[in-house]
Amino acid sequence: MAWLFVRLKLRLIAGNLRGDVMRQVGFVFTLIAAALAACGGFALMSLLRLAPPDVALDAGMVLFTLLTLIWVIGPLLVFGVDETLDPARLALFPLTARQMATGMFAASVTGPWPLASLLVLLGAVVGLSRSLTGVLVGLVAAVLQLAFCLVASRVVTTALSGVLRTRRGRDLLAVGVVFVILLTQVPNLLLNQGVGGDPRVFLSGLASIVRWGPPAMAAHAIADGALAGLAEIAVVGVVVLALGDVWIAVLRRAMVRADSSTQVGSVRRSRFDGLLPAGPLGAVVAKELKYVRREPRGRMGWMAAVGFAGILMFSLSGGPNGLEGAALAVAPACIGALMIGLQASNAFGIDGRALWMNAIVYSSQRDLRTDFAGRHLAVSLVAVPLLAVLSIAAALFAGYPPWVLPALLTSAGLLQIALGVGAVTSVVLPYTYPERINAFTSAAPGQGGVAFAGSFGAMLGTSLLAVPVVLPVFLGLTWVALLAVPYGLAVAFAGRRLAAMIGYARLPDLLTAVSRPS
Amino acid sequence: MTSFAAGGGSPVIAGSAEAVRTHKLYKRFGQQVAVAGVDLVVPRGSFAGLVGPNGAGKTTTLSMITGLLLPDAGSVEVNGVDVWRDPVAVKAHVGVLPEGLRLFERLSGRELLTYNGQLRGIPKDEVAQRAEELLKVMDLTGSADKLVVDYSTGMRKKIGLAAALLHNPEVLFLDEPFEGVDPISANTLVEVLQRYTSSGSTVVFSSHVMELVERLCDWVSVMNLGHIVAQGPLSEVRGDHTLNEALLDLVGARGNGEEGLSWLGSARA
Repeated sequence: MAWLFVRLKLRLIAGNLRGDVMRQVGFVFTLIAAALAACGGFALMSLLRLAPPDVALDAGMVLFTLLTLIWVIGPLLVFGVDETLDPARLALFPLTARQMATGMFAASVTGPWPLASLLVLLGAVVGLSRSLTGVLVGLVAAVLQLAFCLVASRVVTTALSGVLRTRRGRDLLAVGVVFVILLTQVPNLLLNQGVGGDPRVFLSGLASIVRWGPPAMAAHAIADGALAGLAEIAVVGVVVLALGDVWIAVLRRAMVRADSSTQVGSVRRSRFDGLLPAGPLGAVVAKELKYVRREPRGRMGWMAAVGFAGILMFSLSGGPNGLEGAALAVAPACIGALMIGLQASNAFGIDGRALWMNAIVYSSQRDLRTDFAGRHLAVSLVAVPLLAVLSIAAALFAGYPPWVLPALLTSAGLLQIALGVGAVTSVVLPYTYPERINAFTSAAPGQGGVAFAGSFGAMLGTSLLAVPVVLPVFLGLTWVALLAVPYGLAVAFAGRRLAAMIGYARLPDLLTAVSRPS
Repeated sequence: MTSFAAGGGSPVIAGSAEAVRTHKLYKRFGQQVAVAGVDLVVPRGSFAGLVGPNGAGKTTTLSMITGLLLPDAGSVEVNGVDVWRDPVAVKAHVGVLPEGLRLFERLSGRELLTYNGQLRGIPKDEVAQRAEELLKVMDLTGSADKLVVDYSTGMRKKIGLAAALLHNPEVLFLDEPFEGVDPISANTLVEVLQRYTSSGSTVVFSSHVMELVERLCDWVSVMNLGHIVAQGPLSEVRGDHTLNEALLDLVGARGNGEEGLSWLGSARA
């Protein structure tokens, strides 16, 4: 059974690559990345040998725990349940849950990343063991630790697979991704601010927290290499088996549990819509405002923008490289504005396959211009208050409240510039957002290049056009901020005109580009 | 978008007697010719069916007629006006339900209708009233405030049709409107469409379900391998046979079910 699943997994990987150059390139990159991670991880782990034994042990325990966390959270980030690993696809075959668990375990061992992890763990055996018995115990501990990572990861994805298949669950998880990414910045920030004092104390503090978790016990066993170590790997082995049992139970339940996606609530009727002007402009604004709230991709982008600007606010001020003067107040809001504006660099992507509804109505360049104006108005309605909050916070943080004015004006102007540039990239380099959100790619298969060129082009164009107004403000000529908004509005207007001219001529192409199967 | 058909089905564009006429319509995707010179004709006021096997080019043809796909060659006239030369006149007077169920997923059913109406410049109150009536007829009032992403296939087809009818078009193009629709919803769709054509408006729809085409349509166009192989009033196209038999004759039945599979079924000994 196990061998069958391994072959199935290999066949799926091969089938996925057949005839698609972009995917082949992507897979080669994955292989290279995995190989680098394996070799680099192995080398770094073995280098622990050079550290004092107690520091090496602490580091080993923390790193083992970290590896486990990566295994548990990683698959959730890609929402990845590939065909071998999604129990729903196997539910119809006459397999017992135990057979399925064995098979799925075998399938999850197959692949570049488990191999890379094993190599890293073997590096830890080199780095941590202090005796021959340590090496022997270490080999067992490494294999058990890998098994623990895989089974823990499987338990979590299987338990959540019901949720992952519903729309609501995926929406929630998408927002969770932003949190996870922002959270990874926290240790960085803390260290930057000098919280925790001596790094070695910090490390041993962390190590004492994770000490009795199975990964840390595996690491400790390698370093110990004696009877205590044997006892520890025995415990880890028992935990792996127990977790396997939990997995089988969860699997059994997941196969027969009803899909809960049909139980859905209603949305409230918006009272705000009544205030918007009638006609196409109001219609587009109303739709866009709803999408900001309801589309997880949109929410992700907004949260990331605000979160990132917040982090920047802290990190710019601290440390030896901290900014001085007005720039300290202006930069966070400007980064927020840039990140919000860049989301508009593929405006039609969010409509995706529904874009035909607009296309069968629009019969002149003016219609398309109105569409863009509606989108820009909607973004501005939400963004400007956010930028105001960011500006106030940053000005207070910088210790000089009057800086709130240049911060708000500059960032609002920058937002308009980004929107204008984004309108043009939207029609020149349109691409499809994949149906399943994941944290690593933002385009349908084969459109990664277009997506990259689009966002990079938008960033470059915006930065270049923003230099005349943003740079003087950064350098302290705060009065230039007064020009930022009119200048930004002019760029946005020109961008909409140009985009409508190009876009209307190639409306059917646009439609195809954002409706690719994904 | 200043004009919209506000009242009854009075034809705004006078002229030809045909609602749709294509001339040598041609489209190629890479090596594959999807539509190879199609001359589709649909008389005004007819309930027309476009039938043919999978891959015959029905969807591609409909996409080119409705201005969603640029033809490589040939021309399309709707009510005597060239679709690609004068899109304003055409787009205001046609309604479309394309293949797949491509809708704005994150709007509720009611919001979707409102959006469509306002995009076409229909006054707000008028849109609200029409939307309410359409939701009622389509039996969607209970789900009007749920997001389209959570709709079932039948509900999506119904809300799509409602959106296509909202501006009271003169010609309605529907690509596989009954695919995956439960019998109750299908019945609703049929009733609405029959009421619509009885006022003199035109419906063009593609389908695999021959019985349905036979029951509803008075005009049939049969496509195969990118060509129109037969076209005319239903009675002429099918002759003395059922439409299904006529189609199999026209397309060339691919009967290869006799050999092999001898093990299949329980009665074989």
